[in-house]
This record gives sequence, C-alpha cells and structure tokens, in this order.
Amino acid sequence: MSGVLCAIRGGPGSHPTIRKAINLAESKKLPLYFLYVFNLDFMRHTSHSRADTITADMKQMGEFILLMAESLAAEQGVNAEGIMRQGQVAEEICELGKELAADYVILGRPKEERNVFTQDRMSELEKTIEESTGADVILVGEG
Amino acid sequence: MKQRLRLWGLALLLCGTAFFLFYTHRPAVAQEENDPPLPLLVGSVRDRQGQPVGRATVLLWQGAPGATPEAEAEPLASVTTQPDGRYAIPLPEPLPAGEVYYLAIERAHFEDARITLDPDMVAQVEEEGSVVLPELVLPREVNLAFWIATLIFAGMLAVVAISDLHNTLVALLGASLVFAVSYLGHPLSEDLFIFDFDTALEYIDWNVIFLVMGMMIVIAVVEETGLFQWLAFAAYRLSRGKAWLLLTVLMLVAGVASAFLDNVTTMLLMTPISVQIALALNLNPLTLLVPEVMASNVIGVSTLVGTPTNILIGSFASISFNDFLRNLTPGVLLAFAGLVIYSVYSYRRDLGTTGEMSPALLERLEERAQITRPGHLRKAGWIGAIMLLLFVFGERIHLLPSVTALMGATALLIWIRPDVEKMIDAVDWTTLVFFMALFIVVGAIQEVGLISVIADVIGRLVGDSLVLTMVTVIWVSAVLSAVVANIPFTAAMLPVVGYLSGIVPGAHSKVLFYCLSVGSAMGGNGTLIGASANLVTAGIAERAGYPITYTYFLRKGFPALVITVALATIWLFIRFLVLA
Repeated sequence: MSGVLCAIRGGPGSHPTIRKAINLAESKKLPLYFLYVFNLDFMRHTSHSRADTITADMKQMGEFILLMAESLAAEQGVNAEGIMRQGQVAEEICELGKELAADYVILGRPKEERNVFTQDRMSELEKTIEESTGADVILVGEG
Repeated sequence: MKQRLRLWGLALLLCGTAFFLFYTHRPAVAQEENDPPLPLLVGSVRDRQGQPVGRATVLLWQGAPGATPEAEAEPLASVTTQPDGRYAIPLPEPLPAGEVYYLAIERAHFEDARITLDPDMVAQVEEEGSVVLPELVLPREVNLAFWIATLIFAGMLAVVAISDLHNTLVALLGASLVFAVSYLGHPLSEDLFIFDFDTALEYIDWNVIFLVMGMMIVIAVVEETGLFQWLAFAAYRLSRGKAWLLLTVLMLVAGVASAFLDNVTTMLLMTPISVQIALALNLNPLTLLVPEVMASNVIGVSTLVGTPTNILIGSFASISFNDFLRNLTPGVLLAFAGLVIYSVYSYRRDLGTTGEMSPALLERLEERAQITRPGHLRKAGWIGAIMLLLFVFGERIHLLPSVTALMGATALLIWIRPDVEKMIDAVDWTTLVFFMALFIVVGAIQEVGLISVIADVIGRLVGDSLVLTMVTVIWVSAVLSAVVANIPFTAAMLPVVGYLSGIVPGAHSKVLFYCLSVGSAMGGNGTLIGASANLVTAGIAERAGYPITYTYFLRKGFPALVITVALATIWLFIRFLVLA
C-alpha cells in the first residue's frame, strides 16, 4: 500500500491542507486518506462518566468532518477514504502512516502558535513522523 | 440472572436510601408533648451574628465567693448545647448555702464565657423549679486555626481556577489538610484544632448528594435515547433556513434541557450535533455554540435541579422546586429574551452568510438525528413527568427532592432494566466526592468563624437597605463566579446570605438566596472558565477546528452577563419589592 495521508482537524484552517492533499493525490495518482483524530482530554476537569456517550457523538462529528473533506475530493474527481482514530494526534498519524506505508503525510501548520502547536513542536512532530513512517512530510500553512 | 440480581440490589439500595432520607427529614410531631419537664436552668447561646452556637459545653461550678475552681475539681453538672444553641442544665439538690454558683461556657473557636448565678436567682430556681437565663452571646476567637482554614479554602479556590488538577482532587486535598491540621497539630497546640471527623460529617448535606446522584441516573438513561440529536435536527427543520431562527430554537432547546439536566451534560450532547448543522450550513459553529452554552447557563437557574448551585441553595434555605419556578422563572425568561436579542445582534454578520445544505450532508444528518431507543424515551418521559409532579407538589407532604430523584431513578432502573454496570458507571462518583470534600472545607471555615467575619463585614456595609443588599449579593456573586469556581463560592456564601436574610429588614422572603442563585449561575457566562459547560463546549469546538479562546469568550460572554443579570435583577426587584 502507498498513498497520501492528510491529517485534518476541521475548520477553515484545514481547507488549504485538504486542497494540497487532493492536488498531490491527483498529480501523483496515489490513493488519498483523510485522518481525523479525536480524544476526550477536554473532559479531564469534568465528568468522565459521560465518556461512552460523548465518544459516540465525537465519532459522528468526526465522520461528518471527514465526509466534508471526501466531498471536496470527489468534486475534483479524486476518491478519498476517511479514517478516524481516537488517541493522541502525533501517535495516531505515525501509526496510520506506517500501516498505510504512506508516501506523503500532509499536515496543517497553525497560523498562530497555540496550545501544543508551537513551531518547535511542529518541527519535532515532522521529524518524528518522517523517521517512523519514512514518508515525506509536507506542512501547509493555514489559510 | 446475576445481572437481574444486581439490578434489584441497586434498586433496593436506592429505595432504602429514599426511605432513610424521608424518615430522617420528617418534621418532629408530638415529640415535645412527651418531653420531661424542663430542668432547672434553661438558656441559649448565640454568636455575634445571632446564629445559634451548638456543641458548646455548659458546666455548672460551685465555689466560695471569689474562688476559682481547682483544675481537678468536677463540675456539678455538664451539658452540651443543641444545634439551635439551647441548653437545659439540672441543679443538684440540696444546694449548699454560702456558695457561689456559676456557669462556664466553652466552645472551640469562641472565647470562654461565664455567668454567675446571683443568690436571688438560685432562690428563684429552688422556689419555682426552673429559670430561664438571658441569652448569652459568645465572642469569636481568631486563632491560628482560623488563619489556616482560611488559607486552605482560599488556596483551594485558587488551585481550582489556575491549575490542571481535577476539582475533586483539590477538594479532597483541602479536606485532608483540614483533618491533618486538626489531628496532627492539635497535640502541639490547642489553637491548631479546626474540627473533628464527626463534626465534619455534620456539615455534609446528604440531601444534595443524593439529589445529584438520582438525577445522574435519570440523565444517563435519557442521554442514550438520541433525544438531543433529534431535537437539534428538528430545530434545523423548524428554522427553514433562517439562521437567526435556528439560533433561537437551539438556544431554547439547550436552555430548557438545562433546566432539568445539568449544563455540562446538555452541552456535551448538544455541541457535536450543533457543529455538524453549522458546518453543513457553511456557518461558523461558534455562532451557535456560544449562545447555546450561555442559554444553558441562564435557563438552568429556573429550576431546583437545573444547576448544582440551585441544589445547594434549595437544600440550605429550604427553597422548593415550586419556589424556584414561581420566583425565578419569569426573571429567567426575561433574561433569556435579552440574551437571544443580544446573540442575534452580536452574530448578525455570521448569521447572514449561511448556505444551502448539500443533499449528501443533509441525508447523513437526518440519518443520525433519530430517536435510537424510543421505548426507553417513552418510559423516561412517563417517569420524568411523575418526578416533575412530585417535585412541584411533594413539598406539601414534606417530600424532599432527593427522595423524588432517588425514587425516579429506581423506577427507571426497574422499568427499563438497563445494563446495571453501565448505570453505576454513569454516576459521576468524582462529582459526589467533590461535593462531600467541599462541604467539609466550607464547614471548616464556618467552624473557625471566617463566614461570620465575612457576614459581619457585608452586614455593616449594606446596613438596613434591602435594595443595596440585593444588588450587592447578585452582582458580587456574578462577577466572582466568572473568575472562581461557582460551586465552592456558593457553598461558602450560603451561611453569609443566611445571616443577611436574618438581619436585613424584608429579606426573610429568601430573596437574597434567589439573588445568589442568579448571580452564581449567570455569572458563569462572563468568562470561559466561569462554568464547566463553557470549557466542555470549547473542548469539542476546538476538536472540530474552531477553538474558543479566552478573549473571544470574554468579548461575547461578558456583555451577556451584564444584560442577563441586569434583567434578572429588575425581575427580582419587581417580584420582591413591588409585588411583595
């Protein structure tokens, strides 16, 4: 297996990343995979007892975000597959990149530094993914 | 079979608890008729705020005029004051002549006091059989324990606000520190004693604990039915493409749901589906989410079970479900109307840019917006309706809301027969432990007198003016709840408001408790950290690629706080000053 793996978060910031991935898959004639990773870290201050219900709802939301990305790809005549994982973003990208033997991993580079996505962390993440998957990592700036 | 046994076991446990709560909270009737005649010396002890002082030791001593009792001497009699501050101490017969009798009153965190019984009084006791002594006011003693308990409580509020530690862990740490100081520090210095374990347990409000637990089980059943997804999609259908109408209906759905469920659960269930509707309409999801969570914080105030703060207030001040509906709901509706107008105005640009939903996305949304367990929903609806009736009319038979919630939860478990392990998991035990530990820490500051000091200061500032007191309680609560966790804040404010209700003319109507309810809940709209529901909503929105920053929420939320609290204040003035 080989292909283009594009990790998306949803939101307008992901659009340039999605377009870049679609164009790359089209030009290289490679299968395209969109990955959406979610976790429930935001619930660490609140009720964990709701984890089952909210996991189902988060999955539905993730599927919806993936469906929107797949629709964009379909508009350009590219078939894409949406994959959803629960866990930490970096780990899941590496894991799936290895499973798919991806040629390219495309990530969005946040316009502003926020949360864990500082420039240093992004460079570190890029290096980690390249080392663990052997894929070329392309960082795309947010629109 | 094993599953069924566990279910019946849980149901029996809940029934037993409901019976226990009902039995132990029944009003005492006819008990006084059988009481033995009053002993000789009767009196009461209060603090400077007029609050009764329970658990004070009253000792009767005798001695020659001017003499002090020997350290090893035994008192003639000894009793402990009741929770209402009263005591009745018997005098031994016959009383030796030529002696001086006096009462010594001792209580931790208060200065010792002494009442000398003059010979005329002793003669009167012997002649008439009993005598009522004048009320004794015990002055507070500010010692090392006072400062330590204050530090622990302030530290707890600060850590909850700024650290990553779970609230329950912080509250447990606070309670443990209180016990560590009391038990390990006490042998070193008497000034290090705060309270013992038994006294700490007396501060835990079990009515609150069981009400929260019962409602959690009911919510766990309802949330699995897909009701919220169906309601959100119905809102989309109803709005017929008008974004402002969609926003209004979703705010109403979130708000009404929050009046009966807790706000966090409501937003956990509403946020993902709202994000999908917004994305499908090419609308920024924050346009729907921020007003929804604000509506949830506002309308939740209208019922006893809508917010944890209302549960605390209702239990402390004996305010019933009905009282909340009658005295707060019109004000809440007024505030909600203001919030809708503000939200539509604030997001007018975003609301004007919606697009048509693509057929594929519409189909996917519709597919998911189904009632997944109609049978469960129907049964939950019946039980919910009966619970509502019991909440409303139960006060006539002294039925506590916690008993209603427990009975409702039990009935649902028996009727629906869900996976009992799952139901037990659905009870958020960490929240219950948080409440218990919180009650202990707040009890500690109450015990050492911090609450009395705060009450005294506020009492002097507001004087006799009910209007000024109302404005102070409502706005101070609102602003502070925006920056500190509102549950510990409300728990600490309850005795303060109780004191103010006793001294400010006209405040006996419990109006100040309603002010606290409005301020502490609507204040949550002021900042992102003001309410747990805000943080949960922000967490889900961030995972959809739409982060809600602190500044963004402050910009949208603080004006909403001002508008809603102002409108609620106007209603409380009308209800308690004009209509009263």
